[in-house]
Amino acid sequence: MAHPAQLGFQDAASPIMEELMYFHDHTLMIVFLISSLVLYIISLMLTTELTHTSTMDAQEVETVWTILPAVILILIALPSLRILYMMDEITTPTLTLKTMGHQWYWSYEYTDYENLCFDSYMTPPLELDPGELRLLEVDNRVVLPTEMSIRMLISSEDVLHSWTVPSLGVKTDAIPGRLNQATLMTSRPGIYYGQCSEICGANHSFMPIVLELVPLKHFEEWLLSTLE
Amino acid sequence: MASGTLAKPQMRGLLARRLRIHIVGAFIVSLGVATLYKLGVAEPRKKAYADFYRNYGSMKDFEEMRKSAK
Repeated sequence: MAHPAQLGFQDAASPIMEELMYFHDHTLMIVFLISSLVLYIISLMLTTELTHTSTMDAQEVETVWTILPAVILILIALPSLRILYMMDEITTPTLTLKTMGHQWYWSYEYTDYENLCFDSYMTPPLELDPGELRLLEVDNRVVLPTEMSIRMLISSEDVLHSWTVPSLGVKTDAIPGRLNQATLMTSRPGIYYGQCSEICGANHSFMPIVLELVPLKHFEEWLLSTLE
Repeated sequence: MASGTLAKPQMRGLLARRLRIHIVGAFIVSLGVATLYKLGVAEPRKKAYADFYRNYGSMKDFEEMRKSAK
């Protein structure tokens, strides 16, 4: 989950999110490079009385400030495309989980083997136990196995929603009448929080997502106990 | 007449000289900022993740989480 006054990303819990963080570092480095250059040049321009009033052309500098930005853009585009293709790699998911967005809760369906369906409503603040997180806890968490490729099928029963888990680098729109697919692969067990990311009405801020990632054995035990 | 005369001051090319010096300075500053960010933030982050996962055991981590929950 996010901490108060946090500026950066949440800790990555999937390989894709790690790659996205490194790419963000790379791109932000370039942003700081360009911003510091522009700031320096602005301060130079503001601290002199020297002028050149007869400039006719500037072919050399114009060539430089055309080629250099093109090179910078290529330096950004190449890692970006690498990650884009990495996110779309064809894997053979071991599990499929369907989620439907509603106003204002998520419903989940595990239909690979048996038919397990449940709704996931936010826990109201007055019903929280000590230590629980306000506006983030739910009554029924989504339990999933770690270190396995999971296919998420995301849609909506009413208006637009968006299923997001920042630490896994997942944000997928839930669109009525459309089935969107995302792939989850978690590197470590834990509890990961997310919130609906597409405005969907009065309680848009009050329909969180909580994933509980556990080893496969414990996932199977949970599945069997819930089905009973 | 004055016994010593001042040297004639530099009167031409002042802007060009300023630009020559500062264009190099601007690139040094901006590349320096980028290098500082890379060495101070980006590389330590990659190293932190690599160090974390080098000897990581997910079962051990999970059991520790379970123990601390009770």
